Amino acid sequence: MNYPVWNVAFGAGLLIAVVAILHVFVSHFAVGGGLFLVLTERKARRNQDSALLDWLKSHTKFFVLVTVVFGVVSGVGIWFTIGLISPMATSNLIHAYVWGWAIEWIFFFVEITAALLYLYGWEKLAPALHEWYGWIYFIAAFASMVIINGILSFMLTSGTWVQNHQFWSGFFNPTYFPSLLFRFAIALALAGVYALITASVQKDAALKARIVRWSALWIVPSLAVLPGLGWWYIHQIPAETWASVHGPMPTGTFFATFAVVLLAVMLVLTLLTLVRPARMHLTFSLLVALVALGAMGSFEFVREAIRKPFVIGNYLYANSLYVTQIPGDGGFSIDEVNAAGVLKSAKWINHRELTPSNQIAIGAEIFRVECQSCHTVNSYRGLKYYIALRQWDQNKIQAMIGDLQFMHNGVMPPFAGTDPERAALAAFLSSIEPVSPDRPPVTDGRIVFQQNCAMCHVGVTRALLINGLPHDPNAEREALKDLPGLFPLMPNLKLTDQERRALVQWVNSQRSAEKTGTAKQGGN
Amino acid sequence: MMQPNLIPVFDPTPLPAPYWVFKLLLIVTFFLHILAMNFMLGGAVLALASKWRSRKREDGNRVFFEIAKKLPIFLPATITLGIAPLLFVQVLYGQFFYTSSILMAWPWFLVLVLLTVAYYGFYYVSFHSRKHPGRAGWVMLFSVILVCVIGFVYSNNLTLSQVPSRWGAKYFANPSGWHLNLSEPTLIPRFLHFFTAAVAVGGLLLVFVALANWKRDHEYGRQLLQFGGKAFMYATMAQLLVGVWFLVSLPREMIMLFTGASPFATALLLVAVFSASGAIFMMSDALRKENIRVAAYYVPGLIALVILTMCVMRDILRDAYLKPYYHPERFVVQTQWSVLPLFLVLFIGGVVLWFVMLKRYGLFRSAKAAEIPASVGPQPAK
Repeated sequence: MNYPVWNVAFGAGLLIAVVAILHVFVSHFAVGGGLFLVLTERKARRNQDSALLDWLKSHTKFFVLVTVVFGVVSGVGIWFTIGLISPMATSNLIHAYVWGWAIEWIFFFVEITAALLYLYGWEKLAPALHEWYGWIYFIAAFASMVIINGILSFMLTSGTWVQNHQFWSGFFNPTYFPSLLFRFAIALALAGVYALITASVQKDAALKARIVRWSALWIVPSLAVLPGLGWWYIHQIPAETWASVHGPMPTGTFFATFAVVLLAVMLVLTLLTLVRPARMHLTFSLLVALVALGAMGSFEFVREAIRKPFVIGNYLYANSLYVTQIPGDGGFSIDEVNAAGVLKSAKWINHRELTPSNQIAIGAEIFRVECQSCHTVNSYRGLKYYIALRQWDQNKIQAMIGDLQFMHNGVMPPFAGTDPERAALAAFLSSIEPVSPDRPPVTDGRIVFQQNCAMCHVGVTRALLINGLPHDPNAEREALKDLPGLFPLMPNLKLTDQERRALVQWVNSQRSAEKTGTAKQGGN
Repeated sequence: MMQPNLIPVFDPTPLPAPYWVFKLLLIVTFFLHILAMNFMLGGAVLALASKWRSRKREDGNRVFFEIAKKLPIFLPATITLGIAPLLFVQVLYGQFFYTSSILMAWPWFLVLVLLTVAYYGFYYVSFHSRKHPGRAGWVMLFSVILVCVIGFVYSNNLTLSQVPSRWGAKYFANPSGWHLNLSEPTLIPRFLHFFTAAVAVGGLLLVFVALANWKRDHEYGRQLLQFGGKAFMYATMAQLLVGVWFLVSLPREMIMLFTGASPFATALLLVAVFSASGAIFMMSDALRKENIRVAAYYVPGLIALVILTMCVMRDILRDAYLKPYYHPERFVVQTQWSVLPLFLVLFIGGVVLWFVMLKRYGLFRSAKAAEIPASVGPQPAK
């Protein structure tokens, strides 16, 4: 609301995901690969393995072309992209952590210089001095990870920073150390993965076998420690943060599972390279890299997914509204926008007066300033799809918007704004996927549950729905007429008689199934 | 009107050091960034000019090869030194900078793509210029064009960030981030001002290369000095005209600022103009007398001063544009004493380490060896 929202048709979130995943895939290599270079050089010199040394020279060139060019530009790319998509968060982060970034920049400067001198120094420098540049490179690269990890993990688990706003409180937050070690293990594995690529094109079969075995020695132990580090990492994340991973829309669960599967595949593929290391093909090494990229991307998706609804944990929501009122917040906290209304609070909207004729246009603007940081109309996380899936008409949408913060274990921020604004948003959303009032009635209670209840009633609250309703079907149907009467936080949904009857039937079937232990989750 | 209301509010997180600290860092790091950019762009332009001017002649190609080898150093230097001012401009001017970036989000985002392509282009040229000199020339030209496009996008963004009155109409016409700032009267002269400066400084780069070769290959050194020196002179003369164009394209009150209304701004402009003019005469004299010392030390020293004053003037100009909307005196400052000393220590340590790295690599040795002019005579044998 404070900044204009860039309208990316296919989804701003997707754009940032692509830039970030490609960047981390290279930047982690830049850290692990640095240690790989210098240790491999030492190994080659100790064993007087000139063939390995020659390969390492060409590998250095590859390393620089990947990390110093793509790694650096995509790193700047993240800056550009987050500034475009989440300027409020970027601005807050910059003001809280500019000295962290300034320190990282020093390391970065040393790192880039050392990388170039290491590359150009192969033909020029004495071995000991050349290795010295390699060590400086690695230490500087690792140090820059030490810094950026503090800021990244702060966004996920802001720790006591929200109370005291102290630099180090946020920096050494609960997930700082597990995240650092987890990332470092990934970095070491990636060093081996990238080495497989340049090894695969070697003609000297014996040399290729040596490099492949050496690379596997980087990949396999790193993968072996990842589950332990991952477990530690997960256990440092507060339960409520992790909660949104579960439930009927488990982006986090999906990607977490996917990451684990891909890491296992990566392990198997790496072990397979050891069967005939001298004959490993370029395609195979690229396959390993692709699987690693998938695993890395999935890990980042998990992190992004569990961080929601926040962009900075417990401080700023993903749609750039502050969680609580703060002096100097410009009126952009949930409570202030609730009180003043979006049309009075937001800067970047065109309409200021709500009339019956501009309701949809205003709804579209509210959608842009409140929802579009994560959703699109009909593309990435497209609302058209969700509305069609649940068959919500305008009234239902309007009721449901009031309870966004309870849906999917709290993955979304609450709607901020006045009731007429909520109605305008509902009018707009219903205009993108009009649900016909003459649609055939839903007679399957399970579907009624999925379309109307499952988004909030997960786990404990699902059990509450099943067991908390009166056990007499008539009383049950009666109770469902007035949901806020049942519990004040419930949306005021007007279910039809038929829907209520079907739902009650399904609830009862679940009760008896629970007794016999055959209940299935009703969620999709 | 409602336009001033469009300016985003500064976020509630306090500034972690006084305003002037960031201002100083912004100007100093921008100065370093622009130096590296000038070497990169100007060097590449002159390498191309030299290649095409002398078509098949060996010496033209030699300059081309020599510069081509250096571009993969100057481009990362430009980027790395550019990250710091990018950081500090966000600290102080985020409200304006993010907004204008969002209005032109796609061109701004495409900078990354263009930069990657240009960068790989420079690497291609540096690795393959001898094997495929013809193709390398075209690749370098392509990369140079991309770099110029990037510069043009930057000029668009930074001028747009200074005119909030233009934002609303653009955004509400289309929020998909495809706006440039083409109606800005200063856009073209501003861009040309940067480009011409790059060519002039590129000329000085050739003079430095001449200095490095002065003893080893005197004839080549002389040719380089003549070519680089002349390029510097002509570009700087052109710059005086472009500069006047830039100045008169500014809004009236800004012209006044640099022509008397602000004694400081006026003094800076006078220093810059006189120093640049003086540098032209010095270079002309140095070329006639083949005095490499003047050409490679005094002229660049004077030009560094000019660039520094230009960076300060650029900042004065930005603050003049933003005066009605920008209130740094209202910033809440809470200096982060728990981390600032660490930054300073690491900064000094980093700079020292950086010099040690270059020294151990032998980069200063070759410069020292070349420092003694040929006329001094051979060194006594050890």
